Amino acid sequence: MSASVTLQPNALVAVQTAVADALGIDAEEAVAEATLFGDLGAESIDLLDVLFRLERITGVKIAVADIAGLLQGGIPDEEFGDENEVVNDTGLTHLEKVLPQFDRSQLTEPLTADGVLGLFTVGNLTSLLTERTSAAAA
Amino acid sequence: MRQMKLKNSAALVTGASRGIGRAIALALAAQGAAVAVNYRSRAQDAHVVVKEIEAAGGRAVAVGADVSDPVAAAELVSRATDLLGGLNILVNNAGISDDALIHDAAPDAWWDVMKVNFGGAYHCTHAVLASFMAQGDASIVNISSAMGERGWIGQANYAASKGALNAFTRSAAVEVARFGVRVNAVLAGFTPTDLVSEVLRRDGGKGIKRQIPLRRFATVEQVAAAAVFLAGPDSGYTTGELLCVDGGFSAQLGIGRP
Repeated sequence: MSASVTLQPNALVAVQTAVADALGIDAEEAVAEATLFGDLGAESIDLLDVLFRLERITGVKIAVADIAGLLQGGIPDEEFGDENEVVNDTGLTHLEKVLPQFDRSQLTEPLTADGVLGLFTVGNLTSLLTERTSAAAA
Repeated sequence: MRQMKLKNSAALVTGASRGIGRAIALALAAQGAAVAVNYRSRAQDAHVVVKEIEAAGGRAVAVGADVSDPVAAAELVSRATDLLGGLNILVNNAGISDDALIHDAAPDAWWDVMKVNFGGAYHCTHAVLASFMAQGDASIVNISSAMGERGWIGQANYAASKGALNAFTRSAAVEVARFGVRVNAVLAGFTPTDLVSEVLRRDGGKGIKRQIPLRRFATVEQVAAAAVFLAGPDSGYTTGELLCVDGGFSAQLGIGRP
C-alpha cells in the first residue's frame, strides 16, 4: 500500500453509511481520513455495530479480530512492543506498511499497544472491505 | 383463519421436551415458526413434541444437547440453524432445581443449578449472537422466575440462578438493542410442572394458592403465551423487560392484607 491509495467509491460509501448510522453522525462527517476512535469518538461496541451494519450492506463479514490482525500482522506481542507495551520499531514499521496515512515522525508521544486501534480510519476500513470483497470474488 | 404471527421465523427452545418448554414449542409452532425442540436426556419426549407439531401442520426437529456445556450449546445452535435453515428466535427455557435449606445442602449445591439455569442461557445467547446481530432482527426470551426477584425458603440456589438470569436479561438487552436484537424474560410464578412438584406435594399447593392474588396456579400455556408475545412482532418495542406471569404474586406485600 502507498500513501496515495485510491479508495473504491462504492466501498467508501458503504463504510460511511455504516459508520454514520452506528455513531448517529452525518455521513459527510465520516471522511476517509477520520479515525474511528479518535476523531469520531467510537467505542468498542460502536465498532462492532459498524461491522455488522457493513455485513448487512455488503454481505462481507469483517470481524474486530480481522482489524486487530491487520494492525499487528501476526507479530507476537513481545516483538511488537516493549515491556511497557510501547510499540517498538518492528511494530511501527509494520503499521507504516498497513496504514498508508501513518507516519511515526508525526507521533507526539510514544504509541502504546492500546493506542494502535486509534489509528484506524474510515479509509483503512474501506481498504480492508475492498480487499475482502475482491478476495471473496476471486 | 387467523393470521400467524411467526411465519418465516425459526426458533430454538431449550429444555422443550416437557413442561413450560414443551408448551412454548407448541405455541411458537402454532404461530407458524419452525421449531428446534432441544432436550438433554428425554429424546423420546422431544420426538413426541416434534410429532405433535408436525401433526398440526408445523415444522419441527428434535436436537439433543446439554446447554450447561458451552461447546454443546454452540453445537446445538449451529445444528438447529442448519436443520431449520436459519434461526431468529431463541427461548432459553432449560432449567433445573435442587431445593434444600442452605444449611442442609452440600456446599456446592448451587453449581449445577447455576450452570444450567444461568449458564445454559448465557451459552446459548453467546452462540446465537453473531448471527442474530448480523440479521438485525431477532429475539431472545429467557424463561425465568418470580423467585429471582423475591426470596423463598429452600430455593436459595434456584432463586439466585434466576436472579442472575434476570440481571443478564437487562444487561444483554441494552447491549444488543442497537443490533436489532431484543432480550426479555418471562417471570413465571407457580406453574404445576415436574420441576415444582416437590413444592406442591405437601398439601396440593393449597397453602401457596392462598398467597397468590389470583388464587390459582399458572398453566404452562399461559406462560407460553407470554413467551410467544415477547418472541414475536407484537413486542417489537419491548426489550429488557421482565414480564411477570405470576397471578399477581410478586406485586403483593405479604399476603396482601392484615
